[in-house]
Amino acid sequence: MKANGDYVVTARSLTKTYKFHEQGAGLWSGLKSVFNRQYQTRLAVDGIDFQIARGEIVGLLGPNGAGKTTTLKMLSGLLHPTSGELDVLGYRPAELRPDYLKRISLVMGQKTMLWWDVPAMDTLLLHKQMYDLTDEDFSASVTELAELLDVTDLLSVQVRKLSLGERMRMELLTALLHRPEILFLDEPTIGLDVVATARVREFLIEINRRRNTTILVTSHDMDDIEALCERVLIVDHGRIWYDGQLADLVLRTRPRKRVRATYAESIATANLSALDVHGEVTRESDRVLRLEIDREALPVVLQQLATVAPLVDVDVADAEVEEIIRELFTRRKDVV
Amino acid sequence: MSSSPDAKTWSDEDRELRGQRMTVVRPLRVLARLIAINIGVSLIYRAELVLFTLANLTIPLISLMIWHAALRGGARLPVDEHYLGTYFVVLGLVTMLTSSWMMGELAGDIRLGVLSSWLVRPSAAWLRYVANNLAEKILKLTIVLPVVGILWWIYRDSVALPSSPLIWLAFLVSTAFAAILVFALDLAAGALAFWFDDVSALSQAKFTLSTILSGQVVPLALMPAWSQTFVDVQPFRFMVSFPIEVLTNTFSRGELLGGLALQAGYVVLFCGLAWLTWRAGVRSYTAVGG
Repeated sequence: MKANGDYVVTARSLTKTYKFHEQGAGLWSGLKSVFNRQYQTRLAVDGIDFQIARGEIVGLLGPNGAGKTTTLKMLSGLLHPTSGELDVLGYRPAELRPDYLKRISLVMGQKTMLWWDVPAMDTLLLHKQMYDLTDEDFSASVTELAELLDVTDLLSVQVRKLSLGERMRMELLTALLHRPEILFLDEPTIGLDVVATARVREFLIEINRRRNTTILVTSHDMDDIEALCERVLIVDHGRIWYDGQLADLVLRTRPRKRVRATYAESIATANLSALDVHGEVTRESDRVLRLEIDREALPVVLQQLATVAPLVDVDVADAEVEEIIRELFTRRKDVV
Repeated sequence: MSSSPDAKTWSDEDRELRGQRMTVVRPLRVLARLIAINIGVSLIYRAELVLFTLANLTIPLISLMIWHAALRGGARLPVDEHYLGTYFVVLGLVTMLTSSWMMGELAGDIRLGVLSSWLVRPSAAWLRYVANNLAEKILKLTIVLPVVGILWWIYRDSVALPSSPLIWLAFLVSTAFAAILVFALDLAAGALAFWFDDVSALSQAKFTLSTILSGQVVPLALMPAWSQTFVDVQPFRFMVSFPIEVLTNTFSRGELLGGLALQAGYVVLFCGLAWLTWRAGVRSYTAVGG
């Protein structure tokens, strides 16, 4: 965490409710709703508090309908908070002031800023005017970003002829052209293949390093979050259930280490008794053992594993983050 | 997570200077760039543009032939052959120059959330509809002008175009006012999609009403005598008919100035209405989510 003055985002008791009309199935319900509309209120974000420091990459995690996108939309100014306070770079985002919009960028994985029928360069030239970029700033920014994203040769290609991965890279180039201080990303790798996803992740890490851009990202892909974010906000039912480092979350919820040992020959059951005291031991096959052990016992267990039989390979890992998050959402237990 | 020594971030002073320099000019530069993009897009779909424009010219063309034949057949009308000839030859051009088709597009953008990506950029989101309108009109002009020229040549004995530059100037001004009026009405009506899921019925009602009351089907001079007072002051007249009436040169100076003043009043009224609806709509959009 940074000193107070370094925070670029401060949310206090941030709340958003939606009002929508309810209508039952069938003709009668339809007719009834014409004369007597029933409204319901849904609490999408429930009084959340958080701060984000300049230069941080923060992951916003949660199942569908948890309130992630609503939070992102409030931060970018697309939604008015129902109550609470929201300060981003000293502005109230919902006022949609041009000075504010020039300092942020929002990329929505399923909505494009690019003009479909013309090359991406046309959209970039439009942004040059929108964001008051000088010729020098524009050229420097395009050159730097296009090289980083490896899209220099694609700038003159019609956007609709680009692959999904290429299009997302162009989208990022467009979003970062004006050097925003904060980048809001909503599902940036949705639908991308492994190679394209890796490129996007590498680029975001590099742009954060080079420009100190603050990044707030929502994603369903846990690998995205693991690769990009030191800090995560886990949201469900409109509330923040965890705010902290990803590594701490793993330690707190699944402190045990997972070990997989492969041997050159069959393992005698008698040799396993010494391992049992440190945790759970299961046989995956005649020659493979799986263990879930206390973190502190790892050095001892590794020594003991070497005595069981001739060892071929040992793999040590933490519990999968995805598994932890899944479990967390299933239990909906406050881990803070 | 610290910035590298070569990192470039713009200071507040930089941004302030940029802001001061470009406050007025920026929307015009954005508009020019949007027009260029829209022209590029329209040129890709050029066949569609040509067919669409020619199809829209068929109504004035057929009307011209019918009314011309009716007059030659001895029909007694409150206007003469020159009035009708001039009216229908110019009608296609004025209809094109004053038309707007943004209502459906805006409604779709609101419904599908496309507007979101425009609202978070530092430029008025409605500028893109203005640009689309102007860009297509620039291209359509290259199709409509030769067709109108040919029609004028065919019916040259029935067409009486004014020689006074002042009348032509008044025609240009009232055509520009009419175009703004149609666009503002379209924007105000389209912005209702911020609150309603479907505005296609409203769009159809507006189309029917404006087609008849603007004089696109029948010149308003041929409307029943009992309706003339209403027909003369209602706003749709100033969206198509009035500029053509200016060109037919049947107004006294007082009538011309009075008509232009009324049209200007409608422009202010409809632009105000569009502005209020748009602002309230965007507020509602950001209140409930796009």
